[in-house]
Parts: sequence; structure tokens; C-alpha cells
Amino acid sequence: MPPTWEMTEEEIRARRVPVDEQRVLDVRHMTRQFGGLLAVSNVSFVVEKGEIFGLIGPNGAGKTTLFNLITGLIQPTSGQLYFRGEEYTGQRPHYIAQKGIARTFQNIRLFGSLSALENVKIARHTHTFGGIFGLIAGVLNLPPAPEDERKTTARAMELLEMVGLAERAHVQARNFAYGDQRRLEIARALALEPRLLLLDEPAAGMNAQEKQGLSDFIRMLRDKFSITILLIEHHVPLVMGLCDRIAVLDFGQLIALGDPRRVQHDPAVIEAYLGDEG
Amino acid sequence: MNSFLLISMILAAMLALSLYLPLMAGQLSLASPGFYALGGYIAAVMSTKYFVVTGPFPVLYLLAEMAAAGAACGVLALVVGIPALRLRGIYLALATIAFVEILRVLSLNLEITGGAVGIFGIPQPFSDRGSYLWIAIPLLLLSMGFIYRLERIRTGRAFAAIREDELAAAAMGISPTFNKVLAFMLGAILAGVVGALSAHVLNTWNARQGTFDSSINYLAYVLIGGSRTFVGPVVGGMALTALPELLRALADVGGLPVWLAEFLRNGRLIIFGVLIALGTVFFPQGMVTPELLARLFGRRLRRAEQVASTQPVDHGAQRR
Repeated sequence: MPPTWEMTEEEIRARRVPVDEQRVLDVRHMTRQFGGLLAVSNVSFVVEKGEIFGLIGPNGAGKTTLFNLITGLIQPTSGQLYFRGEEYTGQRPHYIAQKGIARTFQNIRLFGSLSALENVKIARHTHTFGGIFGLIAGVLNLPPAPEDERKTTARAMELLEMVGLAERAHVQARNFAYGDQRRLEIARALALEPRLLLLDEPAAGMNAQEKQGLSDFIRMLRDKFSITILLIEHHVPLVMGLCDRIAVLDFGQLIALGDPRRVQHDPAVIEAYLGDEG
Repeated sequence: MNSFLLISMILAAMLALSLYLPLMAGQLSLASPGFYALGGYIAAVMSTKYFVVTGPFPVLYLLAEMAAAGAACGVLALVVGIPALRLRGIYLALATIAFVEILRVLSLNLEITGGAVGIFGIPQPFSDRGSYLWIAIPLLLLSMGFIYRLERIRTGRAFAAIREDELAAAAMGISPTFNKVLAFMLGAILAGVVGALSAHVLNTWNARQGTFDSSINYLAYVLIGGSRTFVGPVVGGMALTALPELLRALADVGGLPVWLAEFLRNGRLIIFGVLIALGTVFFPQGMVTPELLARLFGRRLRRAEQVASTQPVDHGAQRR
């Protein structure tokens, strides 16, 4: 082969990151084994841009395990994950978060002894100048640190405003009521400016009135931030009314996938999960 | 107060800060004495073997040694930290104690460190010991200023996030490994710089400088001073270093019964232990807590902070 400074076709193709805007999340043959237990078994689905995608199933069906797999907190036994057409299987959680997948946790994981404002500011980490030079600039308060800090605070306050916690921005996170903690966690996740937001049981611990407002709130999030939302929820009426599509997990397997109405009348689903709901 | 005690107190405060830095990221590392010893040896070897001068030792050389010690300790911390910081909690503490022991045994057996005898006759830049305060005090203020700023910027927030919940921090895009190693390195650099200064202050340096005992002492400075704000370790280091001297001075006050004076003079370790035990029972958070600082200086500070944090938001909203 003659030496040349130009890249070959092959090299160009290898370098180009295959961005597929439409397929925000592509889960392929995801499997995770804990000892002898198949927590998630050969699950495949695609979440498309702008969707509100529901993940439901009885307790222990593997929903949270699947969330942990998608966000890299645990590694799959086999299977692949693609985010906007790019494979990211096996990446570390912080890399995945930087790529644009943010999440909340089923058992709220705020930074309890820090203030609400600090909690949200922490999630602006990837949007500020960092590394060793960032540290030096920050300590000496040299550009771009003051501007970064000002923007970080302003953006964090805006998000707190949106979830209605701006007045208590300086209160320690652990002193908030349960529902407020959930909203703070959502504000923190949004501070990452994700393309895909994973909500793990956002309605848990909320009263009927708060649940009512939650549907509108989640729709507003999707429209205002133009993000895609994948959520786990137990409260069936909420899921049915809110989600564009639903995937049903049972014993780690995907037993149904489609729009809420079809899923609701799927015999396998009725037997596994919705049966006792009527 | 004699100036040697004052210098010892300042050095102790900085060593406590070197333990506080990794603790900011939730990492209990007891490696500081190891880096302190290494920094001292670097200064001792450089000043006795390479920077040989007639007349008083130039202060510039001393500063160069401190910089070299800090750099060397930073590099060593990077190499040691990447594998060691995979360990959590008490296992990390044990690994760092092992690290201190390895350095101690090495320094006992290497030729360059002077073996068991150590290195003595380290040249003095000043004619009296008190002049070291001109270096020690600015260094303490510098490290306190550094940490004060650190706690208010991105990197410090990342440390705090990892301390609070490492997994949630990672899910927010913060690399736990990078930040833990960075915090560990900052502590090591400070310990190394302090070691280099100490070698000159003490005039001699040997393998007794970095031992398991000192690991525990520094930990006591932080725990008794308070581990939730950097003021705690500074106060703790100074108070615990001054305490034995204070007791000795008390014993010398006339008019005390002989047995009490004797006890104050010789029972120092007992008094020390009792104070530590009482401290942990009645002040489990340490002597200085953020709440205490808020009560002392709080109202003014908090108002300033609130103004700083809300005003930009108004501007931002208007521009939007």
C-alpha cells in the first residue's frame, strides 16, 4: 500500500461516531446473572427520541437491575447497550452520565448533609472547566472559574425554582420532606443536561394529589428540555395515562412491549402483573 | 511561649490538614507520616549533599527543597494512590499504614538515608529558630486559604459528593477514581512540604519521623479538632501539640501540692488519654464544627453568601 497522509475509507468510517438521533437507547439481549438467579434475561428494546417509555413489572422483576445496567452501576453478563447509535457497553457510570444519561434512584440518594443548592451544583460538574487547571483556576479565582461558578449557581437556582424549592436552597437535603427530596433528585438529574432521563419510581411516597401533578410535571420536563424519559413505576393508572409505550418485565424477562392499551389487555401481562389490579 | 513550640504547633496543624484533604473526599488515609518522612529525607539529602554552601543556608534553597519534596510526594501519591484507593474505609487505612511502615523500613536500611543513624547537621538558614515562623506561618495560611477556596469550587464539591455517596456522585458524571487520587495527592504534597521544612527546623532527620504513632497522632488532631471543617484539624493539631507543654507549665506554678505537680508533670499521657476519651463522648463531632463557626461568624457570612448566590440568578433571569 503506498504511503499517504490521507485517511483510508476504512479509517474514516472507523473514526466517525455513528450518531443515531432517533434511537436514543438501544438495549440488546441484556442479561445479568446474580449467582444462580437470572435477574435480567435477554431483554431487548429501543427507546425512541422524545418518548416517555414506561418499565413496569411485579416486585423483583428486574426493573431496577435493568436501570443499573443501563447506567453502568453494574455490568451485564452478556448483551450490548447503545446510546444514540454508539455502543457503550462496559463503560463506567461517570462516563455514561457525561454522555447524557441521568437518573434518579428508587431509594433516594441525595448528598444528605449538603444543601439543596449544592446538590444541584454538583451535577453541573461536567459542564464546568475541570481537571488540574480547573482546580488551580478555581482556587485562585481566575477565569474561567468566576464565570463558571456564577453560571453554575444561576442554572442550579433556575432548576430549584422549577421544582419549587428555590426558597429553601440553603437547607440541608436530608431535612426535606420525602416528596420534596424526589423533586430535588429530579432537579439534580436535569442539571446534567441529559438527553435521556431515567426515573426510578418517581411517584413512590407521594400522596394522591402529588401523583396527579406528577404526570403533567414529567410531560413538561420532556417538552421543556426536549429529553427522552424512561421510567419505572408501580402506580398503574399513572403509567397508563403518561407513557407512550410500555415494556413489561416478569422474572427478568420481557413479556410485553407496546402502547399502554395493548399491553393492558395482553393476557400474559394480566396474568403476571395486572391480574390483581382488575 | 517559646518559638519552637509555636513552630511545632503550626507544623502539626498542617499535618492534620494533610489528613483532612483526602478525608474531604471520604478517604481515611493515614499515609501522611510516610510522605512527611520522605519530604524530610529529600530536604536532608539535598541540603547536606548537593546544596553545600559556606555561611548561612540560603532561604531560596530551602524553598526549592520544599517544592522538590512536594513534587516527589505528589508523584509517589499518584503511583500509590491509583491501586490503594480501590480499597474502602478501614482497608484503605490499613494499606496506608503498611505504606508508612514500608517507607520506614526502607529508610532504616538505605545508605542514602543514613540508615538507623539518620542524617544530622542539616544546615540552618536562620541564626535563631524563631525565624522559621516567617516560613511556617505563611505556609499555614496558604494551605488554609487553599482549602477554604477548594471547598467552594467544582473540585471541592466533587470531593464532598464522593464523601456523601460515591455511587450517586458517579451517576452525576464525577469520576470517583480521579477525584479520590487527586485528594490523596494534595494531602501528600502538603505532608511532603511540611516534612522538608521540619527537617531544617529539627536539624536532624531519621527513621523515627514517620511512624505508626504519628499516624495515630495526626488522626487524633483531626478527630478531636473536628473533621467537618478545615478549621477543626488546625485547632486540633495546635491544641494537642501545646497540651503537654501547658501541663508542664501548670505543674511549675508554685503552691500546688507536690503530688499534683508530679502528676501534671509525669502523668501527661494519662491526662492526654482521658481528654481524648472525654472529647469523643461529649464532642463526637470534634471541638470545631461548621455549626459552631456559623454561630461565631455566621450571620455576616451567611448574608454575604446569600447575596452572592441569589443576585446572579436575577441577572440571569432578566437576560433570558
